[in-house]
Amino acid sequence: MPQPVRAVLAAEGDLHNWAYAKFAGAPLKVYKITNPWRSPTGVLPALKTAEKSIGSLSKPSNIIIHLRKQKYNADYDLSAKEGADTLAFVSLLEEKLLPALIYTQWVDSKNYVDVTRRWYAENIPFPLNFLLPNRIHTQQLERLRLVRGDPTLEPGEQLEKELYHDALECMTLLSQRLGSHKFFFGDSPSSLDAYVFGHLAPLLKIKLPNGKLQQHLNSLDNLRQYCTNILLLYFPSEGKEPPSRKVSVHPEGSDFDSEPHKRRNQILSVLFALGSMLGYAILTGIVSIQQVQAQPALAEPHHVDERGEEDEEE
Amino acid sequence: MTLMLSVPLTLSNFSCYSPVCIDSSHFIMSLAAEAFVSQIAAAEPWPENATLYQPLREDQILLSDCASSLAVQAYLRMCNLPVQVSYRPNAEYMSPSGKVPFVHVGNQVVSELGPIVQFTKAKGHSLSDGLDDVQRAEMKAYMELVNNMLLTAELYIQWCDDNTAAEISRPRYSSPYSWPLNHILAYQKQWEVRRKMTAVGWAGKNLEQVYEDVSQCCQALSQRLGTQPYFFNKQPTELDALVFGHLFTILTTRLTSDELSEKVKSYSNLLAFCRRIEQSYFEDSQAGSSSRGYSKGPSLF
Repeated sequence: MPQPVRAVLAAEGDLHNWAYAKFAGAPLKVYKITNPWRSPTGVLPALKTAEKSIGSLSKPSNIIIHLRKQKYNADYDLSAKEGADTLAFVSLLEEKLLPALIYTQWVDSKNYVDVTRRWYAENIPFPLNFLLPNRIHTQQLERLRLVRGDPTLEPGEQLEKELYHDALECMTLLSQRLGSHKFFFGDSPSSLDAYVFGHLAPLLKIKLPNGKLQQHLNSLDNLRQYCTNILLLYFPSEGKEPPSRKVSVHPEGSDFDSEPHKRRNQILSVLFALGSMLGYAILTGIVSIQQVQAQPALAEPHHVDERGEEDEEE
Repeated sequence: MTLMLSVPLTLSNFSCYSPVCIDSSHFIMSLAAEAFVSQIAAAEPWPENATLYQPLREDQILLSDCASSLAVQAYLRMCNLPVQVSYRPNAEYMSPSGKVPFVHVGNQVVSELGPIVQFTKAKGHSLSDGLDDVQRAEMKAYMELVNNMLLTAELYIQWCDDNTAAEISRPRYSSPYSWPLNHILAYQKQWEVRRKMTAVGWAGKNLEQVYEDVSQCCQALSQRLGTQPYFFNKQPTELDALVFGHLFTILTTRLTSDELSEKVKSYSNLLAFCRRIEQSYFEDSQAGSSSRGYSKGPSLF
């Protein structure tokens, strides 16, 4: 008897797992959270299972294995050869497409600064929004260097050309393999469909300034149709909004909504700065407050004045 | 002979990795260089004195390098292109990309199976011309599968498994060098490979899981091969060469345990496949190579 599975997935990050779960018909409760610290395993995505012994899983392959053990298997109807093809195509995508996707989101300077880092800064609570994007950026660059065996690799045109060349070829191969079929194998989607959809759909939806991969994907009609189709069939509630990260780019006119807060924050921060500077100055004696005694009568007004003048001169 | 080059020759197109220069015009296969190579390659036929360089066979070469080298040799034999094999202890450093094997053809140096296939294609020799688009997509996918799973598993077993690393990999890798260089180089290579394993996410695996992955990969290959003589029916392609290189090396190499070769042996059609290619393409050479602690080269099981 398949156990109900509770899942905590992020709205961004692993569309692949979510899609697989949908295709396999696993009843999942999906929580869209953006703070990795609130996830049961500390990273996103995470799957919280009902069994105490297993606890929570984070690696995508482990998540899929667990779902399979619970008898939610999207590959049930595949023949042996199709299963082998799945393995092969997943390897192809991991080697050729994934590096380019990661590059275009995390390493390419323009995309990273304009889109990815901005999204993180706006959607993830303090203090992670400062630490996390930069950490992921350096991690991915490091990983790219290791895998290509060149420790001096820098993000730039040369690297971009090579990565994109492989990725474009890979997308064309996928398109040729898909042909005019609805899914890769037969009439119902399988894990390969989950993988392809999970990685290509965000590419279609997120607007990137440096969008060569997107352009190529848009030119491959059958792939684009395929992604839209799955989106409509399995993620209808997401509607127009991309199920993956939302890019919050404020158009010029609607700054008013954020204006009051912005102004208030500015004033508060200026006051805070002034107050702390003043406090520091007083505490260290740079500025001293003279306690001028309130003299009872007009007895010595000129003394007070003189004293005041002397102090000022000093 | 004048060559019209449509690609401007700038230094930024070429980068040199190896400290030993074979001649002045070697390069790696970057995108711009590819166009350059195609033009130059197409101009000359395959010479008689093409040479393939790999590390020393008896003492130095490791499982993964031997598999790659055998794959290239098999491919060239399938294309009917003559090549002499030359053994050098510093082959890895001579290679333009740092990986073995590499071939020296005319005045070009090309390393690794992928670029070599493209190079021979530019010269007009290709095994995969008869495939249609879907088949070509599948061929590329399966080649990636072998690289992704088999090659990474071989590297893992060699360098991340402490037993194998200490007993076989480190001694063999550093055998041509004297103390203290042998220790330094061996540990440096081990550290480099371990970091790469972490980058691709294999560092968290244990040996059992790696054997399981190898088994899965072999199962996929076996199912794809089915009862056909080659992966794409009648004619061998570069995929057949690659699979043969890896499987044959795994089967004929003695490691600290037999589990790896047992995994492959459990698929009889893969065994028959290896034997078939060996008999068709390697019959004439090295009939008497003896198998010592680490048998290499085409030999009988």
